[in-house]
Amino acid sequence: MSPPNLKTSTVPDLVALFIALGLDQYQARLRNEQKRLNRATLEMFDVCKELKARAGDQRSALLSLYSHPNLQVRLMAAKLTLAVAPAAAKQLLQEIADSKEYPQAGDAGMSLWALKQGIFRPT
Amino acid sequence: MLAEDLELQRALALRAVTGGLLRLRWLAAATRFELAMHRHMRALKYNPDQPRVPRGNPDGGQWTETDGNGNPVGSSRVRLAGDVPTNDPPEIPKERPKTASERSAAAKLASKILSSAATVAKITELAVWLAPYASGIVSYNDPPKSLDELRQAVSTPDPGYDIHHIVERSSALKSGYPLDVVDGPDNLVRIPRMKHWDINSWYGTPAPEFEGQSPRDYLSGRNWDVRMQVGLEALRQNGVLKR
Repeated sequence: MSPPNLKTSTVPDLVALFIALGLDQYQARLRNEQKRLNRATLEMFDVCKELKARAGDQRSALLSLYSHPNLQVRLMAAKLTLAVAPAAAKQLLQEIADSKEYPQAGDAGMSLWALKQGIFRPT
Repeated sequence: MLAEDLELQRALALRAVTGGLLRLRWLAAATRFELAMHRHMRALKYNPDQPRVPRGNPDGGQWTETDGNGNPVGSSRVRLAGDVPTNDPPEIPKERPKTASERSAAAKLASKILSSAATVAKITELAVWLAPYASGIVSYNDPPKSLDELRQAVSTPDPGYDIHHIVERSSALKSGYPLDVVDGPDNLVRIPRMKHWDINSWYGTPAPEFEGQSPRDYLSGRNWDVRMQVGLEALRQNGVLKR
């Protein structure tokens, strides 16, 4: 299957693709499949870059995923919307970190730590 | 045994209820999103699904109100809530899966279901073939320990645990740090095996926190203290090291 053309995709299509990649990451983490995890993560960064490039920075469309039932989708939506909704994104990251549902809880905690340390500067 | 059965059934039922609630929240959020997108597109008078006249026709490329058969076309395809992509973890298979990745997934799932109540008896009740993984499933839910406890445990190997380098070994050796420091007692801790997998995977995954690089690549040019600081924090955030 050829990869979707991000430039010609609609915002809802990009959001749907973001979800599909998050679910793939979830499976890859559960199954210890590192290459699959990295591939899906890099593709997700491309989706996010495309949303950011759209008029008015359409990453805000990812805020709807804060209620997604899958923890990995919520985690990535929070990390990648820190620049557009910092307070809400941080709150969601804190909730995930407090959930003790690993490995996503550890990942969310490291994200908040990196923000505090000034290593992570969302743009 | 009856009490253990009831506890297991309770854990499974609780998980199902939590999943159902999350799905409802998602349906509500996805519906809100779809409505917002419909309003947005109506305001733009834009329908991404509106077909164009095929190339080769005199007005090729122009918008058209009908499909190839002359039938009117519907509205846009903003439809997130119609498809609820929960991707719930699969059931734990009763037969031993053929691949290592499927077995890892089942072991992690068992630890999530049983949480801190995991015992060898409950694990084998979920699936008999999980018995060799039982110590790793139980240790995954260990409470956090002090750094001294984790370091001292290195001298007591256990099948549910791995010896972990706080500063990653191969990357530190590549950067020229001496073997006696990298493999020294200050850098070694004994941690639950599946937490070891999680932390190693985190080190190797590209992350927005580290300018899109993996933590491993980000740290490769950093000094020992920075690597140690990140390594200790990863242990804390993954519930291995006490805060």
